Amino acid sequence: MQDDTDTARATDSVYDRIDRARASLTGPQIAIAVALVAALGFTLLFVQDPMLHDSLHNFRHSAGITCH
Amino acid sequence: MATDYLERGAVAGVAGGLVYGLFVATVGNAFTAGLETFEHGHGHGGGPVVSELTTTVASVGGGVLWGVLFGVAAFGMAYFFLEPALPGTGATKRLALAGAGFLTASGAPWLVLPPQPPGVEQALGTDTRLAWYAGMMVLGALVAALAALAARRTADRHAAVRLAATAAPLALLAVPVALAPANPVHGDVPASLVAAYRWTVVFGQLLLWATIAGVHAWLGDAETRVSEDLDYPATAD
Repeated sequence: MQDDTDTARATDSVYDRIDRARASLTGPQIAIAVALVAALGFTLLFVQDPMLHDSLHNFRHSAGITCH
Repeated sequence: MATDYLERGAVAGVAGGLVYGLFVATVGNAFTAGLETFEHGHGHGGGPVVSELTTTVASVGGGVLWGVLFGVAAFGMAYFFLEPALPGTGATKRLALAGAGFLTASGAPWLVLPPQPPGVEQALGTDTRLAWYAGMMVLGALVAALAALAARRTADRHAAVRLAATAAPLALLAVPVALAPANPVHGDVPASLVAAYRWTVVFGQLLLWATIAGVHAWLGDAETRVSEDLDYPATAD
């Protein structure tokens, strides 16, 4: 039994990881993680609201993101 | 198991973000403010609607969140799936992913659309530039995947052969650079200062990715904890 798990780990592949994620994660968990990343990315990169956009002006130039 | 990866990615992201926030606080804010003195009629018109202090503080916060974003997306999520495919072991795997992340998010797109200091107007429209940026991100990810594949295929060859094979896919990036439409810029920032600004930005992003990778490697692998988890049901049965 222990040998089987060791062999499985030795031949660990990206497909195994996808299966593991399917088996161990619930839909809402995945949704929350994806939403967090999307919200962060959207706020930092694409929000054009003048207040937020101007506040992040120096950050965008420091990170090499240019809008104009 | 997967949430364990997410947690370590987020912790590494916060650590990288704090270092990058410090970079924005010390270098980014001052450099941008200095470059703004060359600015004539900013593209947004009417000047900024928030105070300089707000911009300074919010930009440092933005830098921290930038690290959190990369930490969660690359090391919390992508690393879980890609760990078996990444070349090397331990810290090498993290550096390989950090390199791939830098190439995808910044490196490859910057070959066509280099960072521009404030006060420089670009001829290409925003939509065209966004499309090119997105396309270069895809190509950057593809090149990184090919490099990882080449590194794995040549794992038992001489180090020099392996290095050459890994670097070879980077040549693909020259194709879109040659095909990209011209993007003449006009502004009053001296060329040498533009170069200094660009390289500051490049090294800033490299610092961010390297810090995330380093902290993630320092946090260690989940392997030990995974096997501990497996032991419990075995003894319970």
